[in-house]
Amino acid sequence: MAALYAEKHYGYSLVRVLTADGSVSLKEGTIYPILARLHRDGLVQSEWVESVQGPPRKYYLLTRLGRQLFDELSEEFDLLVSLVKQDRQKNRANSADELGERILVRREKNHA
Amino acid sequence: MHEYPEPVGKIVLDYLDRLKAQLSSVPGRDQEEFLREIASHVFEAYHREDCGDAVERILVVLKKLGEPSEVVSERLPEAMVNTGRKRQLPLYVLGGILIALFGLPLGFGGVAVLIGALGAVLAAVLAIFATGASLIFVGLLLMGLGFLRTFEPQFWDRLVESGFIHIEGRAAEFLDLISPSGQGALLLLLAAALAAAGLAMLWLGKYLLRGLRFLGGLVMLWVQRAARRVRGLSQSAESSLPHFGRFSMRRS
Repeated sequence: MAALYAEKHYGYSLVRVLTADGSVSLKEGTIYPILARLHRDGLVQSEWVESVQGPPRKYYLLTRLGRQLFDELSEEFDLLVSLVKQDRQKNRANSADELGERILVRREKNHA
Repeated sequence: MHEYPEPVGKIVLDYLDRLKAQLSSVPGRDQEEFLREIASHVFEAYHREDCGDAVERILVVLKKLGEPSEVVSERLPEAMVNTGRKRQLPLYVLGGILIALFGLPLGFGGVAVLIGALGAVLAAVLAIFATGASLIFVGLLLMGLGFLRTFEPQFWDRLVESGFIHIEGRAAEFLDLISPSGQGALLLLLAAALAAAGLAMLWLGKYLLRGLRFLGGLVMLWVQRAARRVRGLSQSAESSLPHFGRFSMRRS
């Protein structure tokens, strides 16, 4: 959805964008059923455009509804990421405190 | 086919044919659009792929695209459920559910097993009715012969002489011990027993049909519920993001 937010893509170009950095691995054909469902739900709009290089291409772009949903989802995703970060920081701080206490106890034992 | 060398064009056509075969349950217009889109993808990918010779390139492209069953497996269950609901074809709905739950090969296997089981049940019901009808028919025939033996013994003897009635072995020895009227009575008794057995089978068949109708109703109800669930699942799973979006994580 992010790839279709500001720029329109046809299936093959979308696959290239998604797999460009190697972080996403997918069977290319599976993108089409997903696009069809997004289209059916009114989240993307599509149009066939003639190509000088070969057969026509079907371009997709997020609709206003799609963008609105994507914005909401992005916000929630950011919130989730921040919550996970906070929890991780708390855990680190707690484990550092515990370690400090153990060292202190050992030193006191050694002195005694 | 857009500017492919001959062997490559054949490979692409074969792939699209296999894809089309898998899409037989998808409505015509959607099917055509889907095939056009895949054909366009194959063309783009083929002309941008730079490994090996032409055949090797197209094979790499099709491998990346996925087997036709993989490409349609996301779309097929929903299409089958929708078509089944619109045309009131419960097997379509059930097929869609099985494919959604177990994937394409296992789902089709499930449909095949189901069709086999339905066929077997249907054959059993038909066999019961056919046997019942046969018993009644044989009973009526024996009844006719019984009356013939009782009231027209000369005609019976003529039929035996001409070979139309032929009884051998222990049955013949036993019948020789009984008088013609006794033979007639025995035949009538046997006929009544067979006819009664036939009628009982038809009567049981009627209850069997009622039971099957009840069972069918229950299965249909289950199928409708499962179809609603599959539709719900496919709508929420179509993109992980909308699904995630319904989950609120706000902390006060």
